[in-house]
Amino acid sequence: MSTQSPSSERYRELLARQLAGRPDRGPEWLEAYRVAAVQRLDQLEMPERRQEAWRYTSIEPLLQPELEPVSEPEVPPTLAEIEALLLPETEGIRLVLVNGRYAPGLSNLSRAGSAEVQSLGEALRARGGEAARLLGSLAGPGDHAFGALNAALAQDGALVRIPRDVSAEHPIEVLHLAVPSKGGQVAQPRHLVIVEPGARAVLVERFLALGSPLYFNNLVCEVLVGQSAQLIHQRLQAESPNALHLSQLHIRLEEGSQYRGLTVALGAAWSRTELKVRFGAPGGECLLDGLYMAGDRQLVDVHLDVDHAVPGCASRTRFRGILDGQGRAVLDGRVLVRKHAQKTNAHLSNANLMLSRGAEIDTKPQLEIFADDVQCGHGTTVGQLDPDALFYLRARGLGETEARRMLSLGFAAEVLDCVSVAGLRDQAVALLEQRLDCSPRARAEEVE
Amino acid sequence: MLSIKGLKVAVDGKEILKGIDLEVQPGETHAIMGPNGSGKSTLAHVLAGRDGYEVTAGTVTFEGMDLLGLPPEERARQGLFLAMQYPVELPGVNSMSFLRASLNAVRKARGEPEMDAAAFLRLVREKAQLVDLDPSLLKRSVNSGFSGGEKKRSEILQMALLEPRLAILDETDSGLDIDALRVVATGVNGLRSPHRAMVVVTHYQRLLDYIEPDRVHVLGGGLILRSGGKALALELEDRGYGWILEEAAA
Repeated sequence: MSTQSPSSERYRELLARQLAGRPDRGPEWLEAYRVAAVQRLDQLEMPERRQEAWRYTSIEPLLQPELEPVSEPEVPPTLAEIEALLLPETEGIRLVLVNGRYAPGLSNLSRAGSAEVQSLGEALRARGGEAARLLGSLAGPGDHAFGALNAALAQDGALVRIPRDVSAEHPIEVLHLAVPSKGGQVAQPRHLVIVEPGARAVLVERFLALGSPLYFNNLVCEVLVGQSAQLIHQRLQAESPNALHLSQLHIRLEEGSQYRGLTVALGAAWSRTELKVRFGAPGGECLLDGLYMAGDRQLVDVHLDVDHAVPGCASRTRFRGILDGQGRAVLDGRVLVRKHAQKTNAHLSNANLMLSRGAEIDTKPQLEIFADDVQCGHGTTVGQLDPDALFYLRARGLGETEARRMLSLGFAAEVLDCVSVAGLRDQAVALLEQRLDCSPRARAEEVE
Repeated sequence: MLSIKGLKVAVDGKEILKGIDLEVQPGETHAIMGPNGSGKSTLAHVLAGRDGYEVTAGTVTFEGMDLLGLPPEERARQGLFLAMQYPVELPGVNSMSFLRASLNAVRKARGEPEMDAAAFLRLVREKAQLVDLDPSLLKRSVNSGFSGGEKKRSEILQMALLEPRLAILDETDSGLDIDALRVVATGVNGLRSPHRAMVVVTHYQRLLDYIEPDRVHVLGGGLILRSGGKALALELEDRGYGWILEEAAA
């Protein structure tokens, strides 16, 4: 494109195009929420690199004129295609979103037992669901333009409620599937996850694509973990190589509760995951693990915002990254321990493995501590494969490509070993292996 | 089997090996002794193909092949094994997967079929017994959290699995107490055969009480200063290295 309008113009066009596709009219409180979000959108500046939160990440790729609001897929996926993707552990329980829209024919919620899993859109239309009224209680009208855009258009996604003292028997899956459609499109999925006091559940979330369509998945997910409740939330982002992906997770932990989140980000041309953690009462524990890989024409961004505003809570954040080719990654992690948050335990670590000279990482872990009786620490490493380790493997007969792959998988294992849903772990390992085999260096060796 | 002729090696422009000649025949065990800095480990590393060493002169042939022209993995596949002085820890790399990948790479080069998981498991258990290595250690990542003795035993286990034609043991005795030394030596002796040669690199004569060499070579200042039978090792035990270095300087 030789003659391109300025970014700000294309940004306004993007918003106008999206907002033109008004969602179904909802209950009054929802309409008020959407109106507040639209107003917020008017006030907010366009995210730009001069703003701290976007310093390392340009939103330019999101401003493509091809991106339209969601339309019907050209060829809807079949039940057989969905079934081929399922993990054995979930017993077929899943809520499927195709291009961001709930697909009842492809979902199976009949076996969820005492866990309530339903389409957020249906819950909103039914107007009865009290649970749905918690929508926006953590995310508000949006921290930035894309949060506000999601709020303004939110009408579909998953509503998960684990009733008081219930332990969900099987992992529950929310499967985001992207399939080719006319042009590119923007989906605004929205989840609300409520784990009531004493309840426990495992939630699996996967982002997969059939083919390599262009789309922008703009997700907001609110998670409320009640007193003494536990949620294990394991996510695999394996979007299409042309996709744009933004996930905003808002997590609130009540007294004595635990949230164990894990995100594996391997796909998409441009992706950003924002994790915002708030503690409502003492005794909350938040464990965040992550693995990202970025290769040629790929940007992976992780933003962490953990705010210890009450005493006696723990957070442990551990992200590992593998960068290859011309890949770029950003890790911006902020952990704040406020003055009254005594007896806080907060740790933040980020390790990066650089497989090529052309790769780039911007890592900025920040620990801001205003309390004096705390245990906190952070650490960052950026390194290459250890030449001694490479020699060791080669001296045992393994070729260089295989040796590099084995060591890279070993680096990732610290995170992947934490994936408790075995089928999900296997898929993540297989995808990572594929990515490592496609690395520019591995391909160059094959040609030789 | 192994023929080294006029080998000169430099590291960062500094000559470390200044013309080594050595012939090793199948079935033989050679000891390479010498004080620190004499070039023993350099020789072991150059034979295994480690980066960072510049061969400035000489040839090395192994079973008729030009060894120096092969990458390290090809040397291993052709039957050369280096038991390392400092085996590295490989966090996250599963021991069993590593051992199986290594064995299958070597088997493939020998024209043998890949070994399936069950047969492999039986083989590893049997070989682990040979070096008295707790098989539960193999559930960990490679060498991770192993003691010094466990690391050395794990090296000999790998050697037993890969059944090399030529094994080079680089300071395998360093850091071992006498019991561990006995176990390692028993493992090594169990692998001696008329078809297999061994080169034992060591600073101390102690190891040679347990692994009896056919030939002993004293390395000093990058040259083999003296070669002899096992009696030479005992003489070194009594008299140290000084007299040989002095004679060489004279």
